[in-house]
Amino acid sequence: MTKGKGSLWAKRSVALLAIGSLVSMFGVVSNADASSGKKVTITFWTSYSTSETPTLEQTLIPAFEKANPNITVKHVVFSHDDLYQKLLTSAMTNTLPDVVRSDLPWVPTFAQGKVFAQLDGKMAGFDKLAKTVYPGTLSTNYYGGHYYGLPLDTNTRVMFANMDAFAKAGITTVPKTFADMLADAPLLKAQGIYLYGDGGTGGWNVLPWIWSAGGAITNSTNTTAKGYINGAKTVSAIQFLADLYKAGAIPDSMLGASGGMSTYDGVAKGNYAMTLDGPWMNPIWGGGYPNFHPVEALVPAGAGGSSSVVGGEDINITAQSKNKPAAMAFVRFMLSKSAQVAMTKAGQLSVLSALSKQVTAIHPYYATFLKQLGTAKARTPVPNYSKIDSIIGTEVAAAMSGKVTAQAAMDEAAAQIEPLLK
Amino acid sequence: MASTSVLANVPHGPSKSSKAGFVPYIFLAPGFLLFLLTIIYPIFRALQISFYNWGVFPGSPSTFVGLHQYVREMHDPVFWRALENAAVYMVFTVPLQIIFGLAVAMLLVRKIPGRGLFRALFYIPVVTSWVVVSLLFKFLFSTDAGFVNWVLHSFLHLSSHNIGWLDTRWPSMITIGILGVWKGVGWSMLIFLAALMGVPDSLTEAAAIDGAGPWRSFFSVTLPSIRLTLSFVTIMLVIGSLNVFTSAFIMTGGGPQQQTEVVLSYMYHQAFQFLDFGYGSALAFTLAIIVFGISFVQMRLFRGGVTRVVR
Amino acid sequence: MIVGSKKRQITFRVLRYVTLIVGAAIMIIPFLYLFATSFKPQLYLFEIPPQFIPKHPTLSNYTDAWTSNSFGHYFANSVFVSVISTVFAALLSAMMAYAFARFNFKGQNIMFWLLLVGLMVPGMMLLIPQYLLANQLHLINSLIGLILFYVATNLAFNTFLLRGFFEEIPWELEEAMIMDGAGAFRRFWRLILPLSRPALATVGIFTFLACWDEYVWALTIINDPDKRTLPIAISVFQGQHLTNWGLVFAASTIAIVPVIVVFALFQRQFIRGLSADALKG
Repeated sequence: MTKGKGSLWAKRSVALLAIGSLVSMFGVVSNADASSGKKVTITFWTSYSTSETPTLEQTLIPAFEKANPNITVKHVVFSHDDLYQKLLTSAMTNTLPDVVRSDLPWVPTFAQGKVFAQLDGKMAGFDKLAKTVYPGTLSTNYYGGHYYGLPLDTNTRVMFANMDAFAKAGITTVPKTFADMLADAPLLKAQGIYLYGDGGTGGWNVLPWIWSAGGAITNSTNTTAKGYINGAKTVSAIQFLADLYKAGAIPDSMLGASGGMSTYDGVAKGNYAMTLDGPWMNPIWGGGYPNFHPVEALVPAGAGGSSSVVGGEDINITAQSKNKPAAMAFVRFMLSKSAQVAMTKAGQLSVLSALSKQVTAIHPYYATFLKQLGTAKARTPVPNYSKIDSIIGTEVAAAMSGKVTAQAAMDEAAAQIEPLLK
Repeated sequence: MASTSVLANVPHGPSKSSKAGFVPYIFLAPGFLLFLLTIIYPIFRALQISFYNWGVFPGSPSTFVGLHQYVREMHDPVFWRALENAAVYMVFTVPLQIIFGLAVAMLLVRKIPGRGLFRALFYIPVVTSWVVVSLLFKFLFSTDAGFVNWVLHSFLHLSSHNIGWLDTRWPSMITIGILGVWKGVGWSMLIFLAALMGVPDSLTEAAAIDGAGPWRSFFSVTLPSIRLTLSFVTIMLVIGSLNVFTSAFIMTGGGPQQQTEVVLSYMYHQAFQFLDFGYGSALAFTLAIIVFGISFVQMRLFRGGVTRVVR
Repeated sequence: MIVGSKKRQITFRVLRYVTLIVGAAIMIIPFLYLFATSFKPQLYLFEIPPQFIPKHPTLSNYTDAWTSNSFGHYFANSVFVSVISTVFAALLSAMMAYAFARFNFKGQNIMFWLLLVGLMVPGMMLLIPQYLLANQLHLINSLIGLILFYVATNLAFNTFLLRGFFEEIPWELEEAMIMDGAGAFRRFWRLILPLSRPALATVGIFTFLACWDEYVWALTIINDPDKRTLPIAISVFQGQHLTNWGLVFAASTIAIVPVIVVFALFQRQFIRGLSADALKG
């Protein structure tokens, strides 16, 4: 190179450098836009109740927004059933929110439809968070080899008893086994009291009985139902319920009769001596029936011990979200200890195993739930679960009402469920 | 412009002009185009969906299955039961709404003190939303602490026990039907009232002078002169009753064990609970064809009635 | 007239009132019970015997309903959507009805049958295709999307009702205006519409009620809480774990009152509007 040329080159390179640095400066600026400079709004759809919403909106979201000044969280609350329909229709048209709090059985459906985003390997801190939650709750987000969300809150069904109702029949302790229940039923019936009230015969309602009897719906890999849902142990659980119904220990409302009293009113008023339900009932009863003090106990044990069904909600990020980093930050925040403690106070049991001591200090009744969660199982995590649930509901009700034998009903259920697992 | 040419472009009284040119289309365009876009086009889309195993989510496959969904329907006991329930609802509610509506209208057609108040009272259920009245009736008809059972059992002692109105199939359908009649009487009353006000007093007076009693006067004078309205009300009520949805959905949700499903609640469950939109569309389309067929037959039966009232 | 009929007339009048009072009571008692329940705390909901005057009245259901979310805002949305939809549905269907009532034109029959189809088809069935269409038109999450579809849904019935009414308007009146050189639009605007006020009130009330109560479509296309209408707000009170009847009924009472006011205001016109007699009166 000649000197002249060289100097020219040098001049040019200075100019280039200058331009380059300008470009990189802009680059920096636009990077800042994405991460911290530009304000983004993420939308969060839930079905929190009127007693839980204030904690989220007045405590948690302001705290998150303060810590992340560039992120605004917009919370939209629907009723439980409406939220499911909204997710379906919005998924069709790319109008989903960024973050969703979804009921457990929905997750496989939306994971299969690629509506929820895969989080393992995509979200910073996922592995760490996955280790802090109860493994059973994490598994509800697992579909096809990946995780499509994280657990947000957990619960299970335990027995709620109205001791005044039991006392009327001269019973002083809650039933601990299936046999106890069969013994208590006639005593209560003589007093015009139903032993056990429930709102349906779907999986949520009858799985605790099936599992406690040692039965199952499917094999452990969820590929077949034959020999499980119509196996001897499952059938014995259904027979147990049918016997109780026949003995007048269960009201028609469990079989889907809409005219009956809800368990909420029935147990509190002493029309039903017991039910199985979740931890949200304590604050709800506290509000509606301040003089009613339910006693919590484990699900009565059958041949398979005492087992119940895992409930709760997961927190998921949608595949359509355009603000995934902000959404992930929000998910991490919702799983932080402070946020989990706040929601636990509002009635949403924390999924963080490290908080198990602390939550019982918040509400002593959580102790029974934590104990029950130790043996609780999740509903079959398959995309067709809502159909399976409906089949269980129909067939169990048919068996309980005595229209068909428990074995025949479960054989029919097995035949119908089998193709849905493929 | 000569006045004759102006006249040429407009209809000549009751016998309308056939040389209207583009003018009627201008009147029709905004409404009818909107109607085509938002009602007729979706009907064809729904028909199309009913030929598929329709994938709900973007990217999930939809497979063409031809008439499979309709064949499936024919073998589906729940569909037949739902259709039967809707038919029972129709048979229960339509005549009662017509009889009660006409009776109240007859009582209110003459000027009597309090007429406006009575009209308003009978009409209030009509103007209240289906969601609200369905929730209300579910509450009133609940088994153990419901108002209706209290009246029948504890107050009037007509029943020895609390009736499970919403617990089994037929009592549930009756309860849903009672709601339908209760909510619908005001509507048919109002339409009949309007028609009765158009019946000249001279006709009934003439019948009275001829010595006709109130019953004969009603059947030979009043009823024939409101025949057109009667046909209109019947057709509208039949359409409405076969399309019953909200009340059944809220009061029983189709339960127990799908015993009280009506066609639209079953369609809703298939589509929005099981994501089976292909089957759901086929169910809805079948219902639409049935409704259309029945209405067509009715219009033929009433003949003049429809050309006058609907056309 | 005949002497013996005097007594019969009195009996008849008493019977008429007794029947009317019993009927009206059946119509109204459920509402009184709803109203009473809206003032009861949950604890006293299922009292036997039923209490029409609550023993432990509370306003908390009303304050809870009104302050939770933004009930007042939803109320305003409902008024806005219902009023605009009603105006457009009445105008567009009046124009269509005028064309059908006063002109013969090509395609008249098929257009009428299509409208009839629109009247018969269950709205639920169209939910998904309409939703996909609304998305293509970018009307998801907009009040305009609500209005557009509410107008469309009410067109068929309104057109049939108005057409019947327009046909009763004596043609001579229009003829007189034609002699003065008035075109079809002027006749429609200056003669037909003013003469049809009762009929317009009728379709107006029907449309307003339909829009005011509509739930499924509003739930489906509205995402933003600021754009919600009343029926969605009420449904939020139906919890997953229990129905808070007092709250639901308080919210329902708030939603019913405007409807009754609208009906009370237009009642006279409303009934005249359904009647061919209207023009003579």
